[in-house]
Amino acid sequence: MCANPTQLLIPLHVSYIQKLGDSKDDLAYHLSAHLRLNAIYWGYTALAIMNHPDALDREQMIDFVMSCWDQEAGAFGAHPDHDAHLLSTLSAIQILTAQDAVDKVDVDCVVKFILSLHQPSGVFAGDQFGEIDTRFLYCAVSALSLLGRLHELDKDGKREKTVEYILRCRNYDGGFGSCVGAESHAAQVFVCVAALAILDRMDCVDVDTLAFWLCERQLPNGGLNGRPEKLEDVCYSFWVLSSLSILGKVHWIDVDKLVAFILSAQDTENGGIADRPGDMVDVFHTLFGVAGLSILGYPGLVDLDPIYCMPAKLIEAKGLRKSWEALPRREA
Amino acid sequence: MSTPAPVPIQGEEPTIPLFAERPEWADVVPLEQYEGVNPLAPIMYTPVYKDATNYFRGIVKIGEKSQRVLELTEAIIRLNPAHYSAWQYRYETLLAIDAPLDVELKLMDEIAVKYLKTYQVWHHRRLLLTITRKPAQELDFITRSLTADTKNYHTWSYRQWLLAYFNDEDELWTGELDFVDAMLAQDVRNNSAWHHRFFVVWGCGVREGEEDRERVYKRELTYVKQNISLAPNNLSAWNYLRGIMEHTKTPYSTVKAFVRPYTLPIDPTSVDIVDLENPPPTKGANLPCPSAIEFLADIYEQEKNTLEAIELWTSLASQHDVIRKKYWEHRIRDALEAART
Repeated sequence: MCANPTQLLIPLHVSYIQKLGDSKDDLAYHLSAHLRLNAIYWGYTALAIMNHPDALDREQMIDFVMSCWDQEAGAFGAHPDHDAHLLSTLSAIQILTAQDAVDKVDVDCVVKFILSLHQPSGVFAGDQFGEIDTRFLYCAVSALSLLGRLHELDKDGKREKTVEYILRCRNYDGGFGSCVGAESHAAQVFVCVAALAILDRMDCVDVDTLAFWLCERQLPNGGLNGRPEKLEDVCYSFWVLSSLSILGKVHWIDVDKLVAFILSAQDTENGGIADRPGDMVDVFHTLFGVAGLSILGYPGLVDLDPIYCMPAKLIEAKGLRKSWEALPRREA
Repeated sequence: MSTPAPVPIQGEEPTIPLFAERPEWADVVPLEQYEGVNPLAPIMYTPVYKDATNYFRGIVKIGEKSQRVLELTEAIIRLNPAHYSAWQYRYETLLAIDAPLDVELKLMDEIAVKYLKTYQVWHHRRLLLTITRKPAQELDFITRSLTADTKNYHTWSYRQWLLAYFNDEDELWTGELDFVDAMLAQDVRNNSAWHHRFFVVWGCGVREGEEDRERVYKRELTYVKQNISLAPNNLSAWNYLRGIMEHTKTPYSTVKAFVRPYTLPIDPTSVDIVDLENPPPTKGANLPCPSAIEFLADIYEQEKNTLEAIELWTSLASQHDVIRKKYWEHRIRDALEAART
């Protein structure tokens, strides 16, 4: 791997994502079955942001998504035969929305599944096993919104309860955690802020305090961490930047240094982006590296909607665009 | 406190006989994984994992809940701790056959430390605890887990869940501040520990002996000042200081005398003065400290001393915190705007 690439190696990353899944002997492979549907969403979205939305076969993608349908629960598992979960259900809805294929799904069933996971406290469980987390709350709100069914939350005060729960996760440092009482964490800040944005309740956010906490995530090497005194990681380029973008403060960080950091985590031989320079690449960090660069106005990329983490045009076309601000797209 | 049992560390895939080769499993029909179209993801499982999950699907299909299901799901979890269906079925089985949950927790002690970063490990434990309702020994277990990874998000939030869930059990809470002390003594920059301190002191109601909030505030103020003095460049401690002042609505200006020495270059001619109210920066500290400059600027801003605040922000933008230059410039613009109107 050559040191410090200064450009985003788009053709290499496209071919890296296309080849994913060819590595059949990879030990890590069977261990990631529980993320398979998410992985396809990550791969597809990265391709779309790199302006190669057709690099994966549309029909195959839709067929795979539909094969993950859990008839009993009425939602999607991460893999055929897996139990339905909110994490994989959101990925399925995102992929089908991007492919204009939501008509293949029994939407009423999915909505029922999502609403059944709403807890009296206002948070959502991920599945019937009952684990709760603001991540699942975001998945529920985002999926309902993409399906045009957000108004279902208006029944029985679910919407207010949901907002209240998010606000109870706010900590003394201005950040948000995974549940009430838990430490602030940049990824949890994203899910909380993006959910508030979808719910049109950004008025609840102390913008300056939170945005400065997010800026403080930038380390001298340009990379961002998720909590004070933790290592930088490319995925925070999305969690932190998307939040800053929703707050309209992306320009508060050192853009050039962050761009250089993300680019330095590329595998210049086989494509893909790692958590940090020199580590193994994966599709998760590849998406979040590319997504971060899009928000930073990197030339040649497609605009990303930071709230839904999907192409901005698509979200606009659905009439779901909320207020956010990315840096202007630069010329190559 | 009892001595914790050593936690066995396993590095390799366990060598267990295939379920297909065991006579006691001969009555179960294994079900192959559905292998449909799969664009990013053709599955090639290892034979051991494939065998176990085939039998798992077979068991789920017939709805069997028995002792051997515990054995089977344990095997799967050891191969893939993120297999949430195996966890879920295991939990249902434990309840269905009325299995001894203390035995399960003991097994989980080992599995949790091995797979600290897996969500399911912790959720399973929460479910067990809501039934056993014996939280006391959990704290020891968590403390042991944290030695393996002192900032593990799941472990810390499990501890917070446990304390909040059993909020009324005062004896559960009595050792928490000592515990935080010990964690911070190990690493004073551990943000999780600082967060936990806030949770314990301010976040979860007022405990017996803590009713005098002014006294508690003074104790916490002294504590955080001492820790800043030992390691001034510690974002977590400065955040804690701000946090307790905001929480108690104490004006920042009340700590001006403490903060100021941290905003100056180190003074080699200074002599040690024991000032418990305002402990000075430790010898050899890297000064000035950007968090202190930011704090002092906030004090000036609150005092409407705009010019002094701007001078500090300018020093941050140009010298001490250049990476956030744009933010400091925004503060300067905002203050000038406010001063004009």
